[in-house]
Amino acid sequence: MDNTVVISTPPHVKSKRTTRGIMGDVAIALLPAAIAGIVFFGWQALVIEIVSVLACVATEFCYYFIANGGFAKKCKNAGKVCKKWLHQFDLTSVVTGLILALILPSTAKWYEVLIGGIFAIAIVKMFFGGTGKNLVNPASAARVFMFLSFSLTTYVAAKIGPIMLESELYTGATNLSGHLLTAQSTAMHPIDLLVGTGVAGCIGETCKAAIIIGYIYLVVRKVIKWWQPVLFLGLFGFTAVLLSGFAMESYKFDMSLFLPHIMSGGVMFAAVFMFTDYVTSPKCVWGQLFYYAVGAILLALLRYFTKIEVASFVILIMNLFVPLIDRYFIRKPFGYIKEKKAKEGK
Amino acid sequence: MKAVRGKYFFGGVHPHDRKALSSASPLETMPLPEEVAISTSQSLGKPAEPIVEVGAYVKAGELIAKASGPISSDVFASLSGTVEAVREEPGANGVNETFIVIKSDGKDEKAYLPPLSSPSAEEIKARIKDAGIVGLGGAGFPTAVKVAPKTPVDTLILNGAECEPYLTCDHRLMLEKTDEIVRGAGYIAKALGVENIIIGIEGNKPDCIQKFEPYDNIKVVILKKQYPMGGEKQLIYVTTGRKVGLGKLPADSGVVVQNVATAFAVCEAVELGKPLFERVVTVSGEAVNTPKNIWVRLGTKVQSVVDFCGGEKSNPKKVVQGGPMTGLALASYDVYTHKTTSGILLMSPEEAACEEPTPCLNCGKCADVCPMKLMPMNTAFYAAAGDFDAAAKYGGTLACIECGACEYICPAKRPLIQAIRKTKAELRKKK
Repeated sequence: MDNTVVISTPPHVKSKRTTRGIMGDVAIALLPAAIAGIVFFGWQALVIEIVSVLACVATEFCYYFIANGGFAKKCKNAGKVCKKWLHQFDLTSVVTGLILALILPSTAKWYEVLIGGIFAIAIVKMFFGGTGKNLVNPASAARVFMFLSFSLTTYVAAKIGPIMLESELYTGATNLSGHLLTAQSTAMHPIDLLVGTGVAGCIGETCKAAIIIGYIYLVVRKVIKWWQPVLFLGLFGFTAVLLSGFAMESYKFDMSLFLPHIMSGGVMFAAVFMFTDYVTSPKCVWGQLFYYAVGAILLALLRYFTKIEVASFVILIMNLFVPLIDRYFIRKPFGYIKEKKAKEGK
Repeated sequence: MKAVRGKYFFGGVHPHDRKALSSASPLETMPLPEEVAISTSQSLGKPAEPIVEVGAYVKAGELIAKASGPISSDVFASLSGTVEAVREEPGANGVNETFIVIKSDGKDEKAYLPPLSSPSAEEIKARIKDAGIVGLGGAGFPTAVKVAPKTPVDTLILNGAECEPYLTCDHRLMLEKTDEIVRGAGYIAKALGVENIIIGIEGNKPDCIQKFEPYDNIKVVILKKQYPMGGEKQLIYVTTGRKVGLGKLPADSGVVVQNVATAFAVCEAVELGKPLFERVVTVSGEAVNTPKNIWVRLGTKVQSVVDFCGGEKSNPKKVVQGGPMTGLALASYDVYTHKTTSGILLMSPEEAACEEPTPCLNCGKCADVCPMKLMPMNTAFYAAAGDFDAAAKYGGTLACIECGACEYICPAKRPLIQAIRKTKAELRKKK
């Protein structure tokens, strides 16, 4: 034994899982959706994805560089700070950039994406303290910011047309505003919705099959719990079906609308990749149940009344309630005795 | 009795157990050390009072320090020779302890208590106290206190889970001393006045399960491989389905848990009159030449234990006394074994985790694996801010059993156990 032995509190063995590994898994899970986006929307989608990821990573680096004194003493420490940044780089900004790109329509201009990426990382994440400290999901906050600044509501249909013959080709509006909420036009076939062929929408949100592949990967790698998106989508679909009855001439509870509802717009993407974000969701299981349930109902309600896709807004709203949820949902320890019983016992 | 499967408990982790390193090597007796330094702090509670003078001649098994206070235990000489010194110096954990140093005369003369044949319950209780037996699982709670519960009990559970990675001392003991363990359990059961004896053994030790099945008076429960299965409250839950309330003792639920090594020590104390002055220690890890399970006298220098196992194979990154999940990291080999030293692990850089902590992601994995259903991330958060009352309130820290599962699973490698210990210490100070 020489003096290089390490002394610490137990445990002396730890799992191999790291933050970087988990974020890498999320990035891998996002890849099918990203590739599907490129196939459906062409090179514009690829440009948006690259710009978004680069903007996020570069912003994080710049912030770290400035905050850790990279410019101090005439840039004497610049090399050291760069090395330190690389050492602590945990891929969170890559995930944020990828998610942001996938929830944008392919008509977004590259400079809009650049501004959105900078906003997501600099203002939403780093200003609040960096990884793990942000109050709201950076990607959804940036999406809302871009929606308010550049509108970005023109969706184009995927390049590959519907494979089921009865489907109609939509341009300029998502399936969502087309028929589900106003009951005016004919429905798309569920298989088209699942694959995303002929569907107008955001880059990563159109191909639900790719999202489901990502979901399965995340569950297998134990990054998310399987019931989280299932609960969210189930409750959301049910509430949406319940509400959409009111849009018809006479109230009708039509469960056949369930699948079109959960496969339209960005709900499924939000449920798998955005609601499940570790940093901005509650800590304990009961809190998470509450969070997903309220989020699902709120999303269904807002979507019904606003007639547009509001997943990002709902994520923002729910994120802000998380500290409050965490305060009220505290688990009772194993073997906890209720106060009443404890008094009786004495 | 035919083995039955135990229940699951909430949470838990599955660390790589690495028991294969030492599980095949049979128990060996280490040659007498030249000198032992026996600490008087061998159990929870107050240290024992030394009763021998410097220069006195003692035999192995002779009382050298008397218990002071209810939760304290007697300490015995572990070899024959002369008392060289009674000195105070920092122990393995850095706290000052009183050591009684005995120089061996090489004869190893024994001074045992008179053996008991068909003893009564009271005699057994007295013998357990006189032999200075403590819980050999790790906590070192005096067994004499445990066998005299204030509430009626109906079940004795033997803890053969050995859920800590690396350690195989209980495994080997169960294989080689099955009969003695069962007899010892019988004595404890008699002292408690219970009929029902259960032994819980983790499923990764099928050979031990086979060994215990032929005995009719003992019920074998196969435990799922899950850490911390050997935690007292978890073991009681999976074997009997009873929950031990917060701040209560197992006896309040009618159960007493004893480690298998403790049962063996009780058997020897009753049948041979042998006080507790040696135990089985697992020496393991990738950085030691020949991993072994050895009988080690109390107060043997860790250096000589390591030397007996062939010394270092490579430079260890961490040296741990006890198990890797709850054990103590040693700064040098110049420390001495205790009654509770179950293992000495020399961990290579590949095995030992020494990563820098990164920011907490709030992923909740620590809460998912906590066997006590606590929220360690809250404790860490509030403890870092210095608000220890909030740490205990929102993290449930006071119920923590410090099993280390949360820190094991943490992807950000946060020092959660350190935060929990700090919180507990600060709250104790306040009282």
